[in-house]
Amino acid sequence: MHPTTLMYTSSLLLMFAVLLYPLLVTFTSLPLNNDWASSHAKTAVKSAFLISLAPLSLFLSTGMEAVTSSWTWMVTTTLDITLSFKFDHYSIIFIPIALYVTWSILEFATWYMHSDPLMNRFFKYLLTFLVAMLILVSANNLFQLFIGWEGVGIMSFLLIGWWHGRADANTAALQAVLYNRVGDIGLILGMAWLATNVNSWDIQQMFILSKNLDMTLPLLGLILAATGKSAQFGLHPWLPAAMEGPTPVSALLHSSTMVVAGIFLLIRMSPLMENNQTALTLCLCLGALTTMFTATCALTQNDIKKIVAFSTSSQLGLMMVTIGLNQPQLAFLHICTHAFFKAMLFLCSGSVIHSLNDEQDIRKMGGLHHLAPFTSSCLTVGSLALTGTPFLAGFFSKDAIIEALNTSHVNAWALTLTLIATSFTAIYSLRVIFFVTMGTPRFLPLSPINENNPAVINPLKRLAWGSIFGGLLVMLNINLFKTPVLTMPAELKLAALAVSILGLLTALELATLTSKQFKVTPLRTPHHFSTSLGFIPAIIHRQIPQLTLLLGQKIASQMVDQTWLEKTGPKAIANATTPLASATSNMQQGLIKTYLTLFLMTLVLVTLISAT
Amino acid sequence: MAGVGFQRWVRTLSKGKISGISGLLPACRSGEILTYFPINIGEIAAAAKKYNIRVEDYKPIADNGEGYGDYPQLPDRSQQDRDPAYQWDHPDLRRNWNEPMHWDFDMFIRNRVDTSPTVVPWSTMCKQLFGFVGFMLFMFYLGDKFPAYQPVGPKQFPYNNLHLERGGSPDVEPEEVKNYEI
Repeated sequence: MHPTTLMYTSSLLLMFAVLLYPLLVTFTSLPLNNDWASSHAKTAVKSAFLISLAPLSLFLSTGMEAVTSSWTWMVTTTLDITLSFKFDHYSIIFIPIALYVTWSILEFATWYMHSDPLMNRFFKYLLTFLVAMLILVSANNLFQLFIGWEGVGIMSFLLIGWWHGRADANTAALQAVLYNRVGDIGLILGMAWLATNVNSWDIQQMFILSKNLDMTLPLLGLILAATGKSAQFGLHPWLPAAMEGPTPVSALLHSSTMVVAGIFLLIRMSPLMENNQTALTLCLCLGALTTMFTATCALTQNDIKKIVAFSTSSQLGLMMVTIGLNQPQLAFLHICTHAFFKAMLFLCSGSVIHSLNDEQDIRKMGGLHHLAPFTSSCLTVGSLALTGTPFLAGFFSKDAIIEALNTSHVNAWALTLTLIATSFTAIYSLRVIFFVTMGTPRFLPLSPINENNPAVINPLKRLAWGSIFGGLLVMLNINLFKTPVLTMPAELKLAALAVSILGLLTALELATLTSKQFKVTPLRTPHHFSTSLGFIPAIIHRQIPQLTLLLGQKIASQMVDQTWLEKTGPKAIANATTPLASATSNMQQGLIKTYLTLFLMTLVLVTLISAT
Repeated sequence: MAGVGFQRWVRTLSKGKISGISGLLPACRSGEILTYFPINIGEIAAAAKKYNIRVEDYKPIADNGEGYGDYPQLPDRSQQDRDPAYQWDHPDLRRNWNEPMHWDFDMFIRNRVDTSPTVVPWSTMCKQLFGFVGFMLFMFYLGDKFPAYQPVGPKQFPYNNLHLERGGSPDVEPEEVKNYEI
């Protein structure tokens, strides 16, 4: 093999080995040392990141991509499955970014989870999640992708329910698993269709063999899978509930990596979707609805982590919109830049939460730009990047998406909703910054405010560099597959910036109202709609379980017995014969007229029958 | 051990309190399993005592042939609805020891159905949610009917509409194509 190819593939497989080694060590019965988390787990991820930079630089300089098929798993007459990794444009750029973000989060977690007696297990779970995510991202066939898919789902369950003594955390973990399972129905449907019609789960083979087939059904399955995993409207309630888990879990899983798995699946399968207008329109409309709805919910939340969670959901909706525009690469770019600033926002909120003795309500924070200046600055930088401030990371991807949206032939309502959601992003971002960092403190004087720990500062610093320069670096080094439309009227070019500034000004206006006696309460109806998350958890999480559990209980304990012992046996006979008996006895009351009528009728019938 | 069980069975049968197949079951000491729907005040009092409820609170489930026996009808409230600040015997379950369990207790645990009062009434919630979704679907339909796009024109090519490139003969004089107007 050519030495470059050898170096490329072996460094990527070495990266997997480096990540798996600490996990395999935990399967022996030897006790781990107390700082296994920082000495082994974090170091492994840091080394894996540095190793993954080598193939990245090879890819950026030569455009090299590789598919490595390591081991034949099973071979049947129609389908064969191999352990096959695809290191192409998407996975080669995503893997170093995911490892960089994970490295920062693990370092932060050594501080955040310091008082947890099971910190080593926590890091083991995070590492297992990371390995599953990398398997998902680098999978060259749907079976391997499914392994990674389920792996990240299970680790999400274990990590959300980390504090399993808390009933709400268990409920949230259960929610995550159930909603993901509903999405998995779609994925398995798609896989089954492809296996039976295209006879392959290999990505390259599927693309070639499905050229002339009508792919609507499997694409709907894949879109359902993305709806479940990436929290699109309809299957979204698990993402805000997932904030019950510790902040490093929220930062890693529910902002940067796991939730983008659904979008990543659609990006991988985008050649199948290119020519199917139904699927594209569905993605566009679903994404627009998601981004708008979750941004509306984020406006009135008071828990800092919930606001960031809804912000994540809104950005995922935006990525879905981009896929609906037939621009998978722009969606991928947004995944990469979003990872940086969203993880940083979560780490800043974690720093704030710990500093205020586990206070998560923004109404009880304030004035932190004096007390925790570094955290506040990073929070501000992250929020600016999120809103698409020119030349920060989010700008390159978000502005490209909005420009593509404005210059395409799109559903006008989807366009409107996306622009409204972009302005809402600015509103709730300013709301967070206003309540958390500005003004005077609204918390108790004796709070353990301490951000002077390198385990906090270094990750935030690294992610801040990523949030500022990440977009620029990625955009400078890649080639866009689809030529972007570069000429458009000034209104369209500046649309994203204009709506964000509009949102910012609105939020500033609303913020000044807090010190004026303007109106006592907000408009009740939309406020309730937004605070209660559109009433979806209230209705769906009560109605459906109640119906199914009640029905199940009734069938199992009452209905089966009652049916077979009473209703089909004795009572059935009684219910069948009683009307007959009463009808017969009603006829025979002793009335001569009835008897004569019957006699006449019988005579007529006999005459008619004998005449024919 | 088996001998002890046998002796208990013989004693129960000889006492003659319970008839039928129930007499053969070892757990069948004075009314441990479900008995019949209570008819008179004595049976109601005995049932209330058995289930550890006051006689005023005891209300049997209606006898529709479903076989509930004398099990009480407890209010349909979930565990989540109970006071989180009260010092329960089992704080995670929000339940006291020996408290009567609802027939659908497994439905009303904190991980499942929640009957806590909502901010707005149920009908309002349903109307608003389904109205919102219906409105969005209708607007998406309208947006599909009237899409947003930039004005476009047919593609224009130079060199007399690419006469030579399109396989036109170099000898034939191509017709003049003007793609502009001054």
